[in-house]
Amino acid sequence: MKMQKILFAAVSAGVMMLASPSLAATELTVQRFFGACDANFGTNADVGKAVGECGIITSLINKFNADNPDVHVNVTTVEWPGYDQLTAQFASGDAPDIVTIHESALSDYQSKGLLMPLDDLLKSVGVAPEAFTDAARTGATKDGKIYGLPIDSWTMLYHINMDLFKQAGLVNADGTPMLPKSPEELLAQAEQFKQKTGKPYFVQNLANETALYTRNLYTYLFQQDSDFFADPKHVKLNTPEAKKVVEMYKAIFDKGYTTKDLDYGGAINAFLAGDGGVQLNGTWVVGDNNAQSETKGTALNKGGYAVYPYPQLFGGAHAQYADGHTWAVSQKDRTPEQTAAIGKFLKFFADNDFEWSRTGHLPAYKAIITSDAFKALPHRNTIAAISDLGRPLPSAVQRQFAIQDIVGEEMSAAITGQKDVDAALADMESRVNELLANI
Amino acid sequence: MADGLTIPRTSTPAAGVRAPSVDIYAPQWRNFIFVAPFLFFFTTLLIFPLLWGMWLSFHKADTFSSGNFVGLGNYIRLFNDKVFLQSVWNTFYFVLLTVPTLALIGLFLALCLNRRTRTAAVLRTLFFSSSVLSVTIVTLIWRIVFIPNVGLLSTIYGWFGATAPAFISDPSLAMIGIAIATVWWCIGLPMMLFLSALQQIPQDIYEAAALDNANRWQTLRSITLPSIKRTFVLVIIIQIVLQFQLFGQAWLMTRGGPNNLTKPIVLYIYDTAFRRWDLGMGAAASEILFILILIAAMAQYLVARNKADQA
Repeated sequence: MKMQKILFAAVSAGVMMLASPSLAATELTVQRFFGACDANFGTNADVGKAVGECGIITSLINKFNADNPDVHVNVTTVEWPGYDQLTAQFASGDAPDIVTIHESALSDYQSKGLLMPLDDLLKSVGVAPEAFTDAARTGATKDGKIYGLPIDSWTMLYHINMDLFKQAGLVNADGTPMLPKSPEELLAQAEQFKQKTGKPYFVQNLANETALYTRNLYTYLFQQDSDFFADPKHVKLNTPEAKKVVEMYKAIFDKGYTTKDLDYGGAINAFLAGDGGVQLNGTWVVGDNNAQSETKGTALNKGGYAVYPYPQLFGGAHAQYADGHTWAVSQKDRTPEQTAAIGKFLKFFADNDFEWSRTGHLPAYKAIITSDAFKALPHRNTIAAISDLGRPLPSAVQRQFAIQDIVGEEMSAAITGQKDVDAALADMESRVNELLANI
Repeated sequence: MADGLTIPRTSTPAAGVRAPSVDIYAPQWRNFIFVAPFLFFFTTLLIFPLLWGMWLSFHKADTFSSGNFVGLGNYIRLFNDKVFLQSVWNTFYFVLLTVPTLALIGLFLALCLNRRTRTAAVLRTLFFSSSVLSVTIVTLIWRIVFIPNVGLLSTIYGWFGATAPAFISDPSLAMIGIAIATVWWCIGLPMMLFLSALQQIPQDIYEAAALDNANRWQTLRSITLPSIKRTFVLVIIIQIVLQFQLFGQAWLMTRGGPNNLTKPIVLYIYDTAFRRWDLGMGAAASEILFILILIAAMAQYLVARNKADQA
């Protein structure tokens, strides 16, 4: 009898051991940018308490882990945008399961067969692409298939220090900031701002920067109806339209209407300290800036904070450069459990896109963008227009981040006076075309 | 059995036949086993990548596939690329800025600290301590110094109502800024090499010089400097090879800007191969860097050898 008991116990233990792997949580590797903020939000799963891109995404993933004990997400945070690392990971066969990729960079990886088409997976968890906004759906679709779960649409904005605008006399009767309607008016208002406040109109991060320059150029080329990427393999940038934009920014630089030697962090600090009127930065700082404006004693609290799309300076299309963030899934062999876990993760982010839109990004879902909760968020009445204004480069254009570097380098050289404007535009065009011709 | 114990078994050859003498220098193939581990890693980690890099440089290849043979196509594109030519010049300019500075400051520090006092020992440790830091920490420290408005330099200039030079973004100063950070980081090794050379100079030469009433300048010029000539050449060669490979400081401090003025060849290679996925052209640029370092090191070596022979 005793022997029987021992035998039974041993068999039971063996069965338990064999069964335990199926009880263990399915591991997923997730790689993202948006910064690291473990000190503040490392254990926070109450998403409503989080602010800013990093805080919200960290808290969302914490909540996903808490809500889904059968799945465990291991997060690797990379420096923005993280594509050098991701490319190396793909090349060595060590890519993460799920990774943040800009819509503008999706085609680089999709064209090499490195990403998994998500149509079937999204369908299986009840996320319908029809629910995406038009911008998000276009950005995430390549060759007729969805290659990333869109989580937002973003663009650059005019972040405005209203106290300084009031000092400069650049406020309309209804209390809104007076924004220019032409390049000449922009320069005139910037001069007036400088005269009245003694500070530069713009706070820009121009030190060794490329992205800001490039986004500014694309926006004002769109506004002049310049179809510079009519052929995705051949760009036309040595044009009168591009020259107008570069000369406008050169005048702003030469006349001291902008901060000059600041890097990205320095520019944010300078704007928050009240060192200039308008910071050119993205949708992602709306939440942080608004939080600052509600904190007593800050420069933005003094006279208020306002945020607007780029003003329409030219007579063409009402448009500005936009892009979006997605969660993409690497192509590899997976068990049904792993694939199901990825589906759960994507569904969770689709369901919680409102929380993500608190960052300042526009939501990627029609239902959220039209919801009262979204409209009630601060400043959304002024920036909601970007869902119509936002325009990406054609999705067939590859290596958009490498192109951004070239365009930004040449614009920087022209604006800061290291190169003649014509020479910079000629070099910009020939360098981008050389890159595209050798893909 | 007893015979076996009492009669020694000798291998005495037959009368008149001498045993062939063993040539202890003759090649013994089993000795290969001793160097095999080294040769294995040397071949797989150095020779193979070197040859593979050469092979890639003649092909149109991206990160995920190696394509067609293009002959010298990548090299022709390279020499038509203004940014590459700029990066070659930048690299030489950086070597020119840092190597003589490192050699001279290293020598100066070694001469000052070549004494048996506690202060000298502490200072030697202090000057060497920066060498143990990683490039990330070094660039972080110097960014804090150079950063506009709130940096250390700006604060100090601010006390006098002046504006600090923009070492990170000014086209004429950016490379100098990187050179300053690099000299601060790398000064330890040249100083230590010079110190060890100085300590090997026999004291009796100095005693003889003292008896001849030689002053300090004469002693330095006629005894110290000639005695450490070989170390000086060694320091120059090591530093040329090291500084030609500038990457981390330029990437972390300026990202190669403004307008590619601080982009060295290694950063160009990284940009081309890993950010644009143009692996073939990146490999071609690597081969050019390899040849440049080889020429620089060989030239230094030949010059040093000729001078040594003449002496």
